[in-house]
Amino acid sequence: MANYLFNGGIVINNLYPVNKVEIIQASLPTKIVLPLQQFGGQTKPCVSVGDYVLAGQVVASPKGGFGVSIHASISGVVLSIDKQTTVHQSELKSECITIESDGKDKWIDRKNDHVDFLHYSTEVLIETIQKSGIVGLGGAGFPTHVKIGKVVDCHTLIINGTECEPGVMCDDALMQFHPREIIRGVEILLHICGAKRVIIAIEDDKQAAYQALSMFNHNDKISINQIPTKYTSGAEKLLIKALLDVEIPSGGFAVDKGIICQNIATAKAVFDAVINHRPLVSRIVTVTGDGVKPNNFEVRLGASFKHLVSIVSPNNQAHNYRIGGMMMGVDVTDINIPISKTTSAIFVNNQVLKPVVQECIRCGQCSEVCPVRLLPQQLYWHAKSENIKDALNYNLLDCIECACCDYVCPSHIPLVSYFSFAKALNKQQTHEQNRINIARERFEFREYRLERNKLERAQMMTDKKKTLKEKMAKEQSQKQKIAEAMQRVQQAKDKK
Amino acid sequence: MITPIFSSISWMMRQVIYALVLGVMAAYYFFGWGVLLQIALGVITAIVVESVFLALRGRDVISSISDGSAVLTAILLAISIPSIAPWWVIVVGVSFAIIFGKQLYGGLGNNPFNPAMLGYVFLLISYPLQMSTWQVDFLSLGQALDVVFDLSNIDVISSATTLDEAKNSLSFAGSIQQLDLHSPSQAWINAGFLLGGLYLLFKKVIFWQIPVAFLAGIVISSILLFVGNTDLYLSTQNHLMLGGTMLGAFFIATDPVSASTTPKGRIIYGFLIGVLIVIIRTFGGYPDGVAFAVLLMNMTVPLIDSFTQPKVFGQ
Repeated sequence: MANYLFNGGIVINNLYPVNKVEIIQASLPTKIVLPLQQFGGQTKPCVSVGDYVLAGQVVASPKGGFGVSIHASISGVVLSIDKQTTVHQSELKSECITIESDGKDKWIDRKNDHVDFLHYSTEVLIETIQKSGIVGLGGAGFPTHVKIGKVVDCHTLIINGTECEPGVMCDDALMQFHPREIIRGVEILLHICGAKRVIIAIEDDKQAAYQALSMFNHNDKISINQIPTKYTSGAEKLLIKALLDVEIPSGGFAVDKGIICQNIATAKAVFDAVINHRPLVSRIVTVTGDGVKPNNFEVRLGASFKHLVSIVSPNNQAHNYRIGGMMMGVDVTDINIPISKTTSAIFVNNQVLKPVVQECIRCGQCSEVCPVRLLPQQLYWHAKSENIKDALNYNLLDCIECACCDYVCPSHIPLVSYFSFAKALNKQQTHEQNRINIARERFEFREYRLERNKLERAQMMTDKKKTLKEKMAKEQSQKQKIAEAMQRVQQAKDKK
Repeated sequence: MITPIFSSISWMMRQVIYALVLGVMAAYYFFGWGVLLQIALGVITAIVVESVFLALRGRDVISSISDGSAVLTAILLAISIPSIAPWWVIVVGVSFAIIFGKQLYGGLGNNPFNPAMLGYVFLLISYPLQMSTWQVDFLSLGQALDVVFDLSNIDVISSATTLDEAKNSLSFAGSIQQLDLHSPSQAWINAGFLLGGLYLLFKKVIFWQIPVAFLAGIVISSILLFVGNTDLYLSTQNHLMLGGTMLGAFFIATDPVSASTTPKGRIIYGFLIGVLIVIIRTFGGYPDGVAFAVLLMNMTVPLIDSFTQPKVFGQ
């Protein structure tokens, strides 16, 4: 199958290579913290403080169709339901359920009906996915049931097996060690969305994963496609461009074009949920960086980063922690925050001095690597001066924040930070503008109403006056007629 | 944390300076120590003036000086002027370039004009005599010091440049074909800068669009003129190998700060510089036109940039 190129992107070698990819079972955490708000979906806790919960038990259920259920990933007692620090650029606090482990890892009864999933209807399967807490495990965390339920006339299902960032190897490990489950999971997804074909995309530096999946793939509809290893090819729209030569319109979604993208780990989670009746309570996390021996760990959701880092025995130097990836990740200082469904990697790096930021010399290296063909050097100018209108003209909102520009900038300017700041500012201004617009409309309507009332009243008065006049005139004429009649009578009398 | 492994500004500036070596060696071979003396004077002036101004502006002097941009400006200006020009010419020129061309606009990255060319044009207009007298022979270090610092009254055989010659002798000669426009020194210097420019392309410090479009602009417009009247106009070969053509194409027009920054914009910008150079050389009052052409096109950069935005993914 042909591969199509997209603009820019960068080839970055894995800075922390390993000889053999593994998945190590991380020890049970003593405590887990589960955020109630996940990726836009709100949930309502259905346990209270002091309750004993089992692993796999639902502790919060979604409010509305967007959210997914949240499950206890260990057995133990609910310690608290309060605000805790979670992964966020500004380390914001949000409402969380904290559970203390009893160390027994007792599970809920999982039904084991061995019914072929083909017997289930699409609706039942989608509901199962929602109730099993499955979201996109690649990084964005978009709820899978929403994505798969929204699509109409789906023709292609793309399974993203490209590692989203250099250095991350959790998907690679999953493909090597669970190929059968992944293929089955893909078949379930295929059954739900009814696509004509499935393309599993794997980067060409992951030969072992490719071999493993190929060995278990006996489905004619599923093809496994190797694509060149280049950073940002894991981004949904760019992957679609690389595989199908289709450009998803700016502001549009892949599902509008009948294409669904799912991560390889999501397919595995779907398999676990539908076949094993096991909700999403753990994920594979890559721990890497020059401060540790890189490896993958299967860890329970809600365990703290500290718990995971303590397992890998980092060296004795001072470290910088970065969650997510070297390009798009978030630097964190507090490693007591919990691992979430989208935590694909933790970078533990020895502390180094950040290079001094210099002036932009408009060299244009950034626009050369920009996968969406922006002009970061121009955009920076407007974002820096908070000139949102011009920044929008330079397509600020199309920036996917992949940080390729940051990576190549000889002046070490944190371009993406400027852009995300400008986006936030734009949002705020739009919000403000909307409020102003609404207020103005209200005011104008009030003015209009007052004016209208005044006019109506005036009209009413004139009408009233008119009718009164007419009435009076009528009465007058009647009186006159009576008078005339009286006169005639009088005259008649007089004549007699 | 993202570790930048690509480059830094000082790395880029160093690459440009390395790339100038061949051309400078060629100039040294023909003109001797004066060339190196001018560069030394220019670099010292640049460092002193830039440091003073950075200090006055309350900036970090060391980190800004070490980006190498002031040194590069000084070198570019020093190799553009006659190597026997008195010492104060380069000092005044570099000072003007750094102060009025760069620092007053806010320093590196904020200057709309190419500082070296601004300094050059300033010198050309203010001191036309000193700026148009080139020597013919190789000068030893002692001779060069004598001439540049005016220590003793030695005579250097000097002449105008070949482009000057072409312009001024045309009225006597009748046809440009009768003039001897053969100039090995200029050809070799241009060849040196061409090779250096190819090195910059190879290192991806500059993009191909500006030099290619620049040279295309010169070739196309000079062919049109030459075909129109072979007696009156310089041949394309002369345009390419004389004056500051190669230095301009690979080192001057490609200054990222003052050049257009979009891929299409770079082509328009480079091409029009090439065309303007031929027009100025042919019809203008000055023998060479690289500096004027670059400065004129610098002015149009904001306009070019705003009209040549690439098509964004999905739009």
